[in-house]
Amino acid sequence: MVIKNVICPVCGASCDDIQVELDGNRLTVKNACKMGNAKFQELVSSHRIREPMMTKDGQQRSVSWVEAIERSAQILAEAKRPLLFMGSETSCEAMEVGLHLGEFLGAAVDSNSTVCHGPTAMGIQEAGRVGATAGQSKIRGDLAVYWGSNPLESMPRHMSRYAIYPRGHWTRRGRFDRTVITVDPRRSLTAEDSDLHVQLKPNSDYELLSALLTLLHGRRPHHSVEEVTGVPISVMEEMLEMMKGCNFGTIYVGLGIASSYGKHRNAELALNLVKELNGHTKFVIGALRGHCNVAGFNQMASYLYGYPFALDFARGYPRYNPGEYSAVDLLREKDVDAALILSADVVSHFPAVCAERLAEIPTVCIDIAPCPTTLVSEVVLPGVIDAMECDGTFYRLDDVPVYFRPFASPPFSFTGSNQDTLRQIFDRVRELR
Amino acid sequence: MSLLVLLNSGSTINEGRLAKGGDKLTPEYAEECAVCDINPADFQALGRPDRVRVVAADGVRSVAVRAREDGSVPPGQVFMPRAIWANVVVDPETFSTGSPLYKGAPVTIEPTEDEVLSAGEITKMMMRRG
Repeated sequence: MVIKNVICPVCGASCDDIQVELDGNRLTVKNACKMGNAKFQELVSSHRIREPMMTKDGQQRSVSWVEAIERSAQILAEAKRPLLFMGSETSCEAMEVGLHLGEFLGAAVDSNSTVCHGPTAMGIQEAGRVGATAGQSKIRGDLAVYWGSNPLESMPRHMSRYAIYPRGHWTRRGRFDRTVITVDPRRSLTAEDSDLHVQLKPNSDYELLSALLTLLHGRRPHHSVEEVTGVPISVMEEMLEMMKGCNFGTIYVGLGIASSYGKHRNAELALNLVKELNGHTKFVIGALRGHCNVAGFNQMASYLYGYPFALDFARGYPRYNPGEYSAVDLLREKDVDAALILSADVVSHFPAVCAERLAEIPTVCIDIAPCPTTLVSEVVLPGVIDAMECDGTFYRLDDVPVYFRPFASPPFSFTGSNQDTLRQIFDRVRELR
Repeated sequence: MSLLVLLNSGSTINEGRLAKGGDKLTPEYAEECAVCDINPADFQALGRPDRVRVVAADGVRSVAVRAREDGSVPPGQVFMPRAIWANVVVDPETFSTGSPLYKGAPVTIEPTEDEVLSAGEITKMMMRRG
């Protein structure tokens, strides 16, 4: 049977038009990108983690679910300062349980959203944001700026579903009526497909944004900015004229802004530029969020505890301090003595010094497939694939909540979702503490 | 011969395909991700090596990866897919934001004869250090 309108649990685009047909061990997927299709095939893959494992005498061995939950709870209950890391390819409902567990334990709770657009969220706290839903940009937008992002490789359907190729109110001919600007040090695939590629030097986003603001104020920036950014002032002027001349423009910021020097200050200045562009035309800004539900953690943590990420409950109430309570910093400084990792391969995607700390401390991970994080974990609990095997909520890249329903069941009976798994651990932790 | 360059790590569509497909411990993933894309002029200056060792700014951590000539990368910069190989040398400093310097960190690249390790082997190395 063909199931339509399935939500894709891979990137922030949360595409809601996926069609699947499950016939025994054969899964046919339509409308998904390369990444999406690969994730859907996990449903029938041979390497799927189907039973809990624990490291005993240096070897990972299969154990019973009860034993694995017991040891997981024990690790967390006995730790002085545990880290709970909520990955992004899971539901807000699971994250909610994780946050409450963190409060109960007095733990640090962080998420993928920190190493993704954490600095962008900090920039928004500084400057505020003129935003729009993806639908508004799709219907009204006639200019898009991909700043430090390469959606053709990181969010392959962004251009075709939300931003560039669809026909909109002022863009009846789709791509032909839209202007695309890419700001990237590299001639990426997206840059090749753009009308203007502004090839700045790495770590000079702040200076380029400052120069654009200066030009917007009717002044000419100091000529040294050409040397610093590698971009001629004439190109900056051309870019600004394109931006001022559109009906509705959107800047999609990527990790080029958040992950290079300047960090949240880059984001803050981009947000200020957009605010000022609204004196000339309608302009909005949004983050291209690479992972599925990174926006969800920011939403859940903000509404439950007042802060979007890097939370610490050590004093019994939530505190927020990126750089101190954020996962990379806690692991780098060896400030945690146990960890629970949910739906994230932290060992692959954190700097090596952090991965080494994870290998040193007792770690519990919940995942669907073998990866470096499952290799270093003392307890590995089989994950449930959200949007395929259980229902729940994701927040899309534009902070719009998307409810998803399952079309299959988990290949085991001991848990029905990652939320359920965390609840079982939480219940046992309550009994142990 | 070695060069001081700026490391830019980021997405590639095939890294995404393999990662989302649960293939991070496979040779195909290493083939796709244990790679350093180098500008043609820099590649020539290094003697067109098969492999390079990428050394972090602290001089402590380094990783051997395949070298690949790539005209899309400007001189003085290199690109590596975001994966365990790049993250061996990514600067863990977050500048009080929680997010490390995945882009724009200075590294040194030099030709090497060392073998490229698999993701599993790098993880074991980390476990020994941890």
